[in-house]
Amino acid sequence: MRIKLKFEENEKKFIDRVNELSGENIYSCYQCGCCSSGCPFVFEMDILPNQIIRLVQMGREEELIGSKALFLCASCFTCQSRCPKGINIANVAEAVRHLIEPKGKDYFGPQEIPVELADELPQQALVAVYRKFSK
Amino acid sequence: MVNKKTKLHYYPGCTLKEKTTNLDNTTYAVMDLLGYELIEPENWTCCGAEFPLTEEKIVGLAAPVRILRQVKLEGGNEVFTVCSFCFNVLKRANEAMVTDPLKHKRINAFLKDDIAIDRVTGEKTTDFPEYNGDVSVLHLLEFIRDEIGYEKIRSLLKRDLSKVKVVPYYGCRLLRPKGKIGIDEPDDPSIFEEFLENIGCEVIDFPFKQECCGSYLSLSMPDAASEASYNILRSAELNGADVVALSCPLCYYNLDRRQDRIKEKFPEFHEMPVFFFTQLLAWALGVDEEVLGLDQHFCDPRSAIGIDKSGVEI
Ligand code: SF4
Ligand code: SF4
Repeated sequence: MRIKLKFEENEKKFIDRVNELSGENIYSCYQCGCCSSGCPFVFEMDILPNQIIRLVQMGREEELIGSKALFLCASCFTCQSRCPKGINIANVAEAVRHLIEPKGKDYFGPQEIPVELADELPQQALVAVYRKFSK
Repeated sequence: MVNKKTKLHYYPGCTLKEKTTNLDNTTYAVMDLLGYELIEPENWTCCGAEFPLTEEKIVGLAAPVRILRQVKLEGGNEVFTVCSFCFNVLKRANEAMVTDPLKHKRINAFLKDDIAIDRVTGEKTTDFPEYNGDVSVLHLLEFIRDEIGYEKIRSLLKRDLSKVKVVPYYGCRLLRPKGKIGIDEPDDPSIFEEFLENIGCEVIDFPFKQECCGSYLSLSMPDAASEASYNILRSAELNGADVVALSCPLCYYNLDRRQDRIKEKFPEFHEMPVFFFTQLLAWALGVDEEVLGLDQHFCDPRSAIGIDKSGVEI
């Protein structure tokens, strides 16, 4: 059976923007799952890394907005080193976060840091987590 | 006659001046013994810790490029780091200046109008030259392998580390993203093992050496990070290691300083000492214990290198 996919204008725009921002070719993913089998944080994720890509391919922005997985990516690039198509999911997750950001507040800002940890946290962790998860 | 030291640019990064001074101090100590005088680029700032991964929010490239441009202006053609994050950001930013004409143009246009004020004369400099990616960015492990050589290291060893059973922990930033960035082959690295063998340790292989420790998730998703860190330390233990060696202050935070939280989540967890590779090198080269900053560790690592509770070498 053949299924014809037709995207709405806004879906099409979302897919194009993710492609453009991430610098990755979303369409080249053939859902082999190598990324998800190597990702060290799948045990906490609601959707798997390959499903992030699939939802982008389908223009399903709304489903991605609610996804915890986008905020569990540690940019470790394990998926990138294993993907047969060379896709870097950390780039894609970052692009999607940028696109959905204006619709919400900071995912993780300075107010989230427990006071008792302030003394022990390494500077690079603070800089990195704000770079990733706040505007 | 005192041998004249070779001048070399060193970018420490902010964490090393605050939370992991043990990494900074041991770097200075070993490089001095190896014949180098380290120069930190004037007015260096934080590198940004994370390389910007999207094509539009590229302002994060300004800091690392400015640091590299400063090295160049001071006549340096190479700069080394010991922090894996700094290494990764500087190296990727440098690479972007070579391979990405649009980023090169935008960042250079942005940085051209920087104003530098001389602290002594008050003289202002602006209209900075373009930076074209021509400083080479090295991690100290590479610099030791390629420019100092293991032979020289072996000839200077003062202490015996043969009882130290250690796993090399690379983490992410020394090896990935796959391509031109890593200090070794991301899937099958050996540089860290070679280094540890050459300073006399017993090196243990383990399957988690390239796994992520949780990185900055230890702030935003502490439980997920604890589990990732636990898996690494547990695997090191099961493979027969007594200590872990690493180079990244954030890995050190997650794998050492958070061992109390790992233990809360996994009660069967056994504490394990974690060292910076420069601490092991410093110890092997005969540096005094005070310089190693071992009191900064959560898990007391002294007995692992043969120091008893009262500070006496055994
Ligand atoms: S490894 Fe690459 S091709 Fe395979 S599912 Fe993941 S992103 Fe798609
Ligand atoms: S970069 Fe992100 S998605 Fe990819 S393996 Fe690492 S944590 Fe998982």
